[in-house]
Amino acid sequence: MNIDDKAARFAAPDPKHDWIPGNLDLRDTWFPMAYSADVKAHPVRRIVHAQDVYLWREGGRVRAAEFRPGAAGAMRSRPTAFTGGSGHYPAHERYGYVWVWYGNPDHAHEELIPRIPFLPADGTRIPRYTQRSVRFDAASPLSVENLIDLTHADFLHANTIGDGQSESDVVEFSSTSETLTRTRIVTRKSVAPVMRWIGGVRAQYQDLRAVLHVHLRNNLCISYPSFEPGYAIPNVQPFVPVGRHRSRVDQTNYTVHAPAPFRWLMPRISYVIQPQDNSVLRPQNARYFEANQRRDLSSRFDAPGNRYRVLMARLAQRQREGDFSYGADADPAADISQLLGMKA
Amino acid sequence: MTSGQWWIVALSEQLAPGKTLAAVCNGRQLALFRNSAGEAFALEDRCPHRRVPLSPGQVRYDGLQCPYHGWTFDGASGRCTDIPNLRRDEKIPPAAVAAYPVAELNGFIHVLAGEGEGEGATLPGAAYRAGGREYTGTAVVGLGFGHYLDLMLDGPQCLLGFPGVAVTDFFMGDPRLDDGYLVLDRGAVWAGKGIGPAFVRDHPLLLRTRVPLAGGNITAELLDADEQPLVTVFIAAGANLRGTTSLAWRGFAHARAAGGPLGWRLRRLAGRAPFSVTQAIDARAVALVEAAPSRERSGAAARTIPIVSISAAAGCNGARAQQENVP
Repeated sequence: MNIDDKAARFAAPDPKHDWIPGNLDLRDTWFPMAYSADVKAHPVRRIVHAQDVYLWREGGRVRAAEFRPGAAGAMRSRPTAFTGGSGHYPAHERYGYVWVWYGNPDHAHEELIPRIPFLPADGTRIPRYTQRSVRFDAASPLSVENLIDLTHADFLHANTIGDGQSESDVVEFSSTSETLTRTRIVTRKSVAPVMRWIGGVRAQYQDLRAVLHVHLRNNLCISYPSFEPGYAIPNVQPFVPVGRHRSRVDQTNYTVHAPAPFRWLMPRISYVIQPQDNSVLRPQNARYFEANQRRDLSSRFDAPGNRYRVLMARLAQRQREGDFSYGADADPAADISQLLGMKA
Repeated sequence: MTSGQWWIVALSEQLAPGKTLAAVCNGRQLALFRNSAGEAFALEDRCPHRRVPLSPGQVRYDGLQCPYHGWTFDGASGRCTDIPNLRRDEKIPPAAVAAYPVAELNGFIHVLAGEGEGEGATLPGAAYRAGGREYTGTAVVGLGFGHYLDLMLDGPQCLLGFPGVAVTDFFMGDPRLDDGYLVLDRGAVWAGKGIGPAFVRDHPLLLRTRVPLAGGNITAELLDADEQPLVTVFIAAGANLRGTTSLAWRGFAHARAAGGPLGWRLRRLAGRAPFSVTQAIDARAVALVEAAPSRERSGAAARTIPIVSISAAAGCNGARAQQENVP
């Protein structure tokens, strides 16, 4: 569907009420809770949907539990249905992450871990410089919507990512019941400052094809932006919902194929981007909890974001009715290399 | 727990034998006094005779004497026990001032205010036990009581600090309800170390705040990464007049606090307080704090109701209920 599709222009999840991104609590999905390299014998604490997840290794094997290992008595919280009463979550390691199942543990199947085609599945050969943790002052779905949104970057991140000037800028998007894919094709855009100054791209203009593939349940965002002249900067941004107001993102900016020193410095751009985003996200998130809120207005540029809202609302409604299954059109493990536009 | 009726109004050491103290308990003006036997009493700070405050009065063997005409009131019953210059054959009129039950525990003076029986109730001060050298204080801050409690969830760094520690705005999840308290953790780091608190992989410190749904006793704990306490601060808050809040606090550093960076250790060796309670609140900073976790306390957000529990789908018990705001 093209962004110019008028039918989608004002698509909103509900004709009467706006969405409240902090209230979306979708189940039966794998969350990449930590980098594998960060999980050692000493436990680390992570949180998903306000629920504690303690991660550690025993004999090299990763463990995930609702309680701190060794905790006793009152310190040991009562196991919930999320661990089937055992206190231990299903957990797997893949793509350099520890994935923890959030939902009914009986439904935890390894093949539901999303495919990330540009990362080594066993996690080896993923350099640490590609991994950066950032925190956002908003509910995960709001952060994801902001990532889907194309127009904010031209204002908020112009000094790093570049302005919105180009000869042509076409946006397309498609979706399944579990994913949304947005593709942006830009011709003759001005080269991003970061790529020009440290990325070795001396041209004044470049073309960009950027694909963003969003898994709805776990807010996993897989991006494949490819620049010509230039190179691809594939990246993963898993927006793990810490709670209704905060999210954590253990990013992997897989810049291994970019020239040095860009490949080392580019992942650190999040140190610049994150405060810029948070300056907006914090007040924005709070306003979605206001009583008597007024509905958001939209322009045609918001069509992918509004589709995202619709899809999230549908999924939430299904789960509300007790249906946690994956639809026939959804296969998180499907190979999306072609969809991302990866070159063979 | 009936801390909604029992309120901490002062530190025990504030009230010496034979002395008085004016206090405000959840908006009520009180005259506290301690007799020579060390027993503390609380009377309404208003003489029923001509409405003069009793707190500037004198402590006598038979009660508190009004500084205006010398009427004396028994601390336990509030009954008038003496009116100067009455003839011996004249009866003392059945005048009385409101008297409030008083209890002392762990260095705090508690007053039972409002309706309800206090007997058998757990005193708010029971939640505090000193485990080291104590640092104490009192203040009246220019922030309403409800806002004070809210801010302790949304932006506690506006209300208290730990020298050598930077408390972040990243809180862990949402407040969890624990025995009448909302409990919330937020990340913290040692100040001046590393690339900045926003980008650490895992916070080496946590600030855990326990904010009551009823009453005003707040606990703030600085924890290490293993969630073991380094510093405990117990703050008793209560509504004062004109939109202000009374505070009385006690706190201490735990034995584990002997570690940490050099600056932190030197402060401990020098006997410096491991925490500070803000007395001059920065109104500009407060105004910038977005309401977030406090919405759980104040109910300002849309009401939450359970709509379906995971157990319905998972077929097991003990799950959290899914929540959704209902406009």
